[in-house]
Amino acid sequence: MTPGSRLRVFERTTSQPQLGVKPGYRWVYVWHWPIRAMHWWAAGCIVLLAASGLYIGKPYFMTAGEPSAHYLMGWARMIHFAAAGLLVATGIVRVYWLFVGNRYERWRALFPVHRQDWVHAYQILLKYAFVRPLEAPHYLGHNPLQQFLFTFVYLVVVIQVVTGFTLYGLANPGGFFATMFGWVAPMMGGLQLVRFIHHVNTWFFMIFIPVHVYMSLRADLVHREARVSSIVSGGRFVREDVPFEDV
Amino acid sequence: MIFPSSLPWTEDQSLGEHLAGSGVSRRDFLAFCGEMAVILGLGSTLTPQIVKALEQTRRPSVIWLQLQECTGCVESVIRTAEPTIGDLVLDLISLDYNHTLMAAAGSAAESALHQAMEENDGQYLLLVTGSVPLNEDGIYTTIGGRTAKEVLEEAAEGAAAVIAIGACAHWGNIQASNPNPTGAVGVSQIVFDKPVVNIAGCPPIADVVTATLVHYLTFGRVPDLDADGRPLFAYGARIHDQCPRRAHFDAGQFVEEFDDDSARRGWCLYKVGCKGPACFSPCPIFQWNTRTNWPIGAGHPCIGCTERDFWDRYTPFYDRLPEVAGFGVESTADTIGFALAAGATAGVAAHAVATGVHRARMRHRGEYSRIDVIPPGEEDELPNEEGDDGQN
Repeated sequence: MTPGSRLRVFERTTSQPQLGVKPGYRWVYVWHWPIRAMHWWAAGCIVLLAASGLYIGKPYFMTAGEPSAHYLMGWARMIHFAAAGLLVATGIVRVYWLFVGNRYERWRALFPVHRQDWVHAYQILLKYAFVRPLEAPHYLGHNPLQQFLFTFVYLVVVIQVVTGFTLYGLANPGGFFATMFGWVAPMMGGLQLVRFIHHVNTWFFMIFIPVHVYMSLRADLVHREARVSSIVSGGRFVREDVPFEDV
Repeated sequence: MIFPSSLPWTEDQSLGEHLAGSGVSRRDFLAFCGEMAVILGLGSTLTPQIVKALEQTRRPSVIWLQLQECTGCVESVIRTAEPTIGDLVLDLISLDYNHTLMAAAGSAAESALHQAMEENDGQYLLLVTGSVPLNEDGIYTTIGGRTAKEVLEEAAEGAAAVIAIGACAHWGNIQASNPNPTGAVGVSQIVFDKPVVNIAGCPPIADVVTATLVHYLTFGRVPDLDADGRPLFAYGARIHDQCPRRAHFDAGQFVEEFDDDSARRGWCLYKVGCKGPACFSPCPIFQWNTRTNWPIGAGHPCIGCTERDFWDRYTPFYDRLPEVAGFGVESTADTIGFALAAGATAGVAAHAVATGVHRARMRHRGEYSRIDVIPPGEEDELPNEEGDDGQN
């Protein structure tokens, strides 16, 4: 995005009328299917990871009788490890897509870099505080605040994966994970701190998920920004006369 | 020489001859060698080599330095319910110097030390228990008028290998824990030019010391070590993965109080702070006092004493995770996390209500509440939430 180029969707997309779209609207394709698949895949994994992880951290259900008849913690750990593997798989594809995706998906979209973006971040913050809601700029992809937040989510996921594999590797010293992540515990100050960081970060997702769901629904219901539908169908219906910063 | 032994191992005897003379049967000796082969992870094929090497071993010279410590490691190594051949080997490895156990005192003891060092220069094994204080030029521990650092450096000079026994010699232990008033460090932070084997634990298991010595006598070198200098044969696996209570962990059966039914049934101690999942030690297999018992076997969670900095990093001993500083002793990570998550949900709900109020007020004022993209004059084309106030 060039600062100040508040181009309209209309000018940059085809001038041909789109079939089935209400006059005055455009349907803009924002998220490719791999991004959407990764979003829901990762969302499922994170929900499974958080649920099983909170059980592993503090086993609140107990079983009675002979231990041979139960495998509750075993299943929790199995789900946790399997979901972690699937999350890493999506992560690898996501990293690849940082280099081949469109401008909303590329690595350049990870952080707001221009000074104008910071001004916009402030304006968007004001919008959510009900101060001058009409002056906030519009984005087709992620706005600067979203860039911050979602890149932070990636960061937390990376920390979770690194600390998680460190703990996972303990069962097989000298194995692949113990060798690859052996540097983590000394760097972080011992295994218990690694465990602590891994545990506390789980709560980040417990905080993030309700806020994220609310903001997405609000974007659809209040601002009519078609955010939820964009992560399902990949596209957004936007007004032709609304200026977007990142066309 | 110094240990109370009615039949001392003399210079001209090999270990085999000496054991035969002490009334140890060939069968018992072979069984001991087989056991050592298993402990060292060598398998039975190497047992004959251990037998041969040990039989022919001449009396090795061993100097045992005790620095800043509580003498508990010596107690652990010499205390067993019945004398085993392992103890005999330990008893007999010609301790030329150990100031707790030797009869000599004062300058006689010091001269014994120097005599042993001179006679066996480059040959003797140096066992060290206790940490080395460095603050105030090391005055916190002095032996014979010299600081622990000087004593250790001098003794390490001519040693073939250094075996640091116990958590004090390993990394400094409780005296090195925050705030470490004496500036205590472990042996491996003083001795760099010799192989240093860390027999971790507070105290360590005597069998690990014995097996390390047997390995040295058999192969002429110290066993393979992990990243922290601990012998892999003993510290190569987690307590958690060798624990006899592991089945209860996998089944989801946990002790919650030390006097509850679960504790009586011998369930997993995970929820009362067991550090077995973060602790590498052979305790579940070797156990203490001639394989009588060990902490988890007695219903007490592991405190992780074979790990570096466990007083600072593995505490509280009866909780799974470290406490969060600054939030009071009762506030654990979960309480704070749950409060923040609940707060975020409440905040989201409050924001949703505020959104409704804001829109209602805009409508009341007659300003079209196009909070965002709906431009004036076209709201009738959209699902109409704004009412038919006809403004804009």
